[in-house]
Amino acid sequence: MIQFLQLLVAGLMEGGLYALLAASIVLVYKSTQVASLAHGQILAFGAIFFYLFLGPFGLPLIVAIILTFAASGLMGLVIERTTLRPLIGQPLFASFLVTFAVFMLFDGVFQLFVKGEAVTLPPFLPKGTMYLGTIHVPKGQFWSFLAALILFGLLGLMFRYTKIGLGLRASAEDHQLAQSTGISVKQIFSIIWVLSALVACISGIATASITDIYYTLPQMGIKGLIVALFGGLESLPGALLGGLLLGVLENISAGYLDPLVGGGMKEVAAYVMLLLILLIRPYGLLGLVRIERI
Amino acid sequence: MRPCGIFDEAYTQDMAILRTKQHWAVLVGALVLLYLFPLFGSYYMVSFLNNLFITIIVVLGLQIVSGYCGQISFGQPAFMAVGAYASAILTLKAGLNFWLALPLSGIIAGLFGVIGGAPSLRIKGFYLAIATIAIHFVTIWLIMHLQITGATQGLNPMPPEIFGFALDTDERMYFLILTVTVIMTFGARNMVRSKVGRAFVAIRDNDLAAEVMGMNLYHYKLLAFFISCFYAGIAGSLWGHFFMVVHPEQFTLTHALWYVGMIIIGGMGSIPGVFFGVIFVRVLDEFVLFASPFLSDAFPWLGASPAAALGLSAFGLVLIIFLVFEPRGLAHRWEIFKSSYRLYPFAY
Repeated sequence: MIQFLQLLVAGLMEGGLYALLAASIVLVYKSTQVASLAHGQILAFGAIFFYLFLGPFGLPLIVAIILTFAASGLMGLVIERTTLRPLIGQPLFASFLVTFAVFMLFDGVFQLFVKGEAVTLPPFLPKGTMYLGTIHVPKGQFWSFLAALILFGLLGLMFRYTKIGLGLRASAEDHQLAQSTGISVKQIFSIIWVLSALVACISGIATASITDIYYTLPQMGIKGLIVALFGGLESLPGALLGGLLLGVLENISAGYLDPLVGGGMKEVAAYVMLLLILLIRPYGLLGLVRIERI
Repeated sequence: MRPCGIFDEAYTQDMAILRTKQHWAVLVGALVLLYLFPLFGSYYMVSFLNNLFITIIVVLGLQIVSGYCGQISFGQPAFMAVGAYASAILTLKAGLNFWLALPLSGIIAGLFGVIGGAPSLRIKGFYLAIATIAIHFVTIWLIMHLQITGATQGLNPMPPEIFGFALDTDERMYFLILTVTVIMTFGARNMVRSKVGRAFVAIRDNDLAAEVMGMNLYHYKLLAFFISCFYAGIAGSLWGHFFMVVHPEQFTLTHALWYVGMIIIGGMGSIPGVFFGVIFVRVLDEFVLFASPFLSDAFPWLGASPAAALGLSAFGLVLIIFLVFEPRGLAHRWEIFKSSYRLYPFAY
């Protein structure tokens, strides 16, 4: 029982980070109908920027965070302007593939930077371990998790109450109708890419503060896509639910099945789950049900 | 498009792949040149071509399922791995002859691909692409955790023999790989103009309309996956016996991205496009490999061996350029070039 709870809590902490990345993908999908793999790279580069500003440049924490946000937002904007905007009007699948191409382009740059070694962020979150009864939780993970939850709340509020949020929701419903009511859909696309880049960047910083920056970090992008699909591509609550569930599932299957099959369950559990969900509920847990015959 | 004054008078003429004497001359000349290549080509070039031909076989399969049938698949390396392992296990553990194991491994990979293609019955487009990524990872995980595949050790298939003559060097293997590539290309080119090929194109262009016209979607989608994975399996088998090692690390998701990129650069839905795409990307890769020592001298912060990373970046960049500026690929440019020289003195 203790082991189960321990795995559950560890899974929830990890799931919060998946959820954050999935949220950035959902944000983009909601308004532009493009599922993006490029966010895996924005996440990885967010971590790298943060490392550069905090470590080698030795800036204070708050300045480093602001600069990292600026750099990541710029990255999102550049990706949108140079690769996705020219593809407006093309089949959506081309946009999906171009995010793959962006992924590969930046992956090369990322590999050049990391060179197969682990880059460790300077510690900036509280050290030590908290205890909930007999379950121990590293403090850094707890704060990342909390930050993720707060960010979800903020995103929800922004969508609900601000004018930009209204524009985002309107263009998510229908691009042409939104355009005809005076919302600049192109501008909305840019805003959403910057916003989602910021979310991905926060997720990157949080991930890197827990696991170091390895050359496999960008492949979190695939995990993010899986979570987004799992929760439903149009649904922010779905991203949160999907992320938490995936984190828990990964940890529990790794904890209980690894001794039986000889390891590696953690990597494969997500994909097995994805295949099942795609076959049973292709639109995800909370996604819009598309009425379409295939 | 036919040149001025040339008319097709019969259906067979219209459908013929090789219509003129010049076509035959070019084909025979090219084949003779290719078969004589090891006589004057360097060892490096021969081994480069071996690699290129194996990639062409894999990408031909991908072109059939993605370019013709419209089901984008990122699972090609996994199916290639299934073929490679099937062939290695059949020859090493079951003691089968390579010449029997080669087609068998294609069929095994094909059947596996039918299972892998099963999600296409429920989902399409982007969802299917992600599902094939999942299939890739599950397959590689299975290979790494089963006893029969040698787990993380991999297997070491022997080079094939023909009448006691071992094909154990790159030059000797070249003839086998070239022959198989020619046969597979011929097969693919013929298949796509048959009833099956037309059905694939109909499904790609509009699956609902295709179904309304009385096509069995399930049958044809699974058939597309079977054929594509058959190609991957054959290529995997050749790959295993050529390198004499099969290991899960050889079949990564990055390879899948490369293959999909190759058909985009070459042109979706075109068999010559496969050749354009594979050759373009491979030559680009060789160029980066050649240039990277100079770059790493000029810019020390790139590190000692930036070739792999730079190749990835260059490929990503080229892919973006093609998707934005020429989504129909090199094959489309080739068609434009052909029609312009046929009409040469006139604009149209």
